[in-house]
Amino acid sequence: MSKKNPVWSFFASVKLAIVLLILISVASILGTLIPQQEAAGLFISRLSPGMADMLRGLQLFNIFHSPWFMVLMGLLALNLVVCSLDRFPMAWKRFRQEGAPNREDVFEGILPDQVTIKETPLAEEAQRLEVLLKKKTGRVSRGDADDRSYLYGEKGAYSYFGVYLIHLSVLVVMAGFIVGFFFGFEGYMSIPEGESSAIVEMKRGKGVKKLDFAVRCDRFFIDFYENGAPKTYRSDLTFMQDGRAVHSSSALVNHPVTFAGMRFYQASYGMIPTGDPVMAVMQGDNKVKDVKVAIGMEFDLPEKKAKVQMTRVEENLMGMGPAVKLNIQSPAGKIQFWVFEAIEQIVQANPGLLEQVPLFNPDAFAPYTFSLGQADKRYYTGLQVARDPGVPFVATGALLMMIGFIIVFFCSHRQIWICLDRKAGKTRIRIAGKSNRDAVGLKRDIRKLLDGIKLNGDATI
Amino acid sequence: MIDTVILSWTTFIYLAVFAFYLIRMLSGKEIWGRLGTAAALMALLAQTAALILRWVASYQMGIGHAPLSNLYESLIFFSWSIMALYLVIEWRTKSRSLGTFVAPVAFLCMAYASLSPNISSRIQPLIPALQSNWLTSHVITCFLGYAAFTVAFASGLMALLKGMERDTSTPDGTALGKNNVTPPQTNFQRFIGHIPEPGILDELIYQSAALGFVFLAIGIMTGSIWAHYAWGSYWSWDPKETWSLITWLIYAIMLHARYVRGWRGKRMAVMAIVGFISVLITYLGVNYLPGLHSYQ
Repeated sequence: MSKKNPVWSFFASVKLAIVLLILISVASILGTLIPQQEAAGLFISRLSPGMADMLRGLQLFNIFHSPWFMVLMGLLALNLVVCSLDRFPMAWKRFRQEGAPNREDVFEGILPDQVTIKETPLAEEAQRLEVLLKKKTGRVSRGDADDRSYLYGEKGAYSYFGVYLIHLSVLVVMAGFIVGFFFGFEGYMSIPEGESSAIVEMKRGKGVKKLDFAVRCDRFFIDFYENGAPKTYRSDLTFMQDGRAVHSSSALVNHPVTFAGMRFYQASYGMIPTGDPVMAVMQGDNKVKDVKVAIGMEFDLPEKKAKVQMTRVEENLMGMGPAVKLNIQSPAGKIQFWVFEAIEQIVQANPGLLEQVPLFNPDAFAPYTFSLGQADKRYYTGLQVARDPGVPFVATGALLMMIGFIIVFFCSHRQIWICLDRKAGKTRIRIAGKSNRDAVGLKRDIRKLLDGIKLNGDATI
Repeated sequence: MIDTVILSWTTFIYLAVFAFYLIRMLSGKEIWGRLGTAAALMALLAQTAALILRWVASYQMGIGHAPLSNLYESLIFFSWSIMALYLVIEWRTKSRSLGTFVAPVAFLCMAYASLSPNISSRIQPLIPALQSNWLTSHVITCFLGYAAFTVAFASGLMALLKGMERDTSTPDGTALGKNNVTPPQTNFQRFIGHIPEPGILDELIYQSAALGFVFLAIGIMTGSIWAHYAWGSYWSWDPKETWSLITWLIYAIMLHARYVRGWRGKRMAVMAIVGFISVLITYLGVNYLPGLHSYQ
């Protein structure tokens, strides 16, 4: 068979597995010590060009996606497959092995307390023990000779397969990794509040991807705890197909939105200027409204039946920065004054200015205060977009691994042999057992069988 | 806060537990061992109560969450897991020697949590990234794994100490035996004498490493599920993820070396210590590396 093949024996060795696991560990350690991918930029700039080129050549700035790391993983997978195939027939043989009931060798060297003498006839005891053993192991085979009876029961023979299930699970997880690597994608999109986008910037510099639908950020919402720590980040998203809204949902951290097989994660946020400066109208501490700054812009203040108009907009009025001239018409009459962006600094530099020059007083039309803001800012939301068809594989792998662990660490193969024969006119019962992993559990089983016999009265020992 | 007061008392009781177990091994008087066990049980109960109080207090503050959300709380839970696991093992094996090696780890965790100026003991609200049902199961499984690895590490230390005694005592031990004179035992010899036989230690190293291996695997799985919902990918080679994998691989190497190549004794002890160093890097060391997983 191919088993004598040197290539086969090379890949069938556990030594290779251990060497590969050590190599993968060392590579992973490097991957955490050397800044990777985007983070590597600053580190590279501190290296000499030759050093940087060498490390780059070895792909040490992207270890986990480098071909040589994949090769290590591939070799491990191959090693795992060959190792398992090499050893599986042995496990299969053990599994299929019919425990012959009439074996004498297993009773050699059993402890004295595994032997009991009873007054009852052999056939009756054999019957009773068969029932007891069946309860323990499920299936019992029996062999009867003239003067003796043999019983044999076993359970957990499948436990030889646990380790292969774990190996299989690792392969399934790796398959999921590969599927995700080749058929999935990860990217990022940033969408200002109120706008929509279909452009996803791909990770690892793979360019951009245009979605065949658009995502609109209706609102970005941020909330804080009393101590200032962030409490909630939320984006209200609407998915648009051919200009029609087809689905609306909110993405929160830990609660992504799924649409068209892609998941949208709340990943970051920020502020962007909207372009035009804005004038705020305040009444005490309450904002009445924000008005875009532009010549001729008109708005109403209904409470005072007033009509406000921006008659002039200056970038830098008399060296005192941006300013807007307002003309306010109300039942109380007409009033004109300037609103400066830097009014606080101007007053500080010229104490008493507002009293001397009412034309510069932003409080001139009580109870309102007018102020020029910097260009208004708007939130944008940063969404991570991902599609990973490998996830079901990885999940299946994890499940198989759990089952494998349960079999390997909690199940064991137990074999129990019982021999009944006549000794000095009495029935002698001997019980022997074997277990691949759980000697303690086996001992307990045998003890219970012995207790079961004694419960049935007339024990003489 | 009452819970932090109880926890600082617990810290000192764990130090006392260590002292009691140590005196037991040096003096050979079992009364110190019983004292150690009683103190350990008391401290564990107090610690449990403090964790529950902290949990309740967080709800009263309106930011209810399990006390597993920052470095302080994780250190407390780590030492809790270590002592809980140890007491189960003590009860099952009827041996107290392990306590001398495990209790100082639990004490150091508590002392670090209580005394380090960088670690806040305040109950903090959960930032959005931590607001997940997976937080509790992820943290509990990981720390049960770490606790099992701590037991394996302590058993490894014991095995190495026991091995040292073997090397030094054999040459003249036979000569004295012939004259039938029992030499007066030094404290150190008595100490070593209380360490269980290598076969028992070997089994303990193996079983606790295997237990930790399974729990770490579940911890990595729950973490991956969480990451799938929180970060957009079940695996992103973040330093903590990567180190947890390295740790898992080290124990995988250890278990395979035992199963297939029949490693026992000193080699397993060394592996248990190497593995534990990796656990410490996974738990604390990676906070000095940039990544998503850092404690705040």
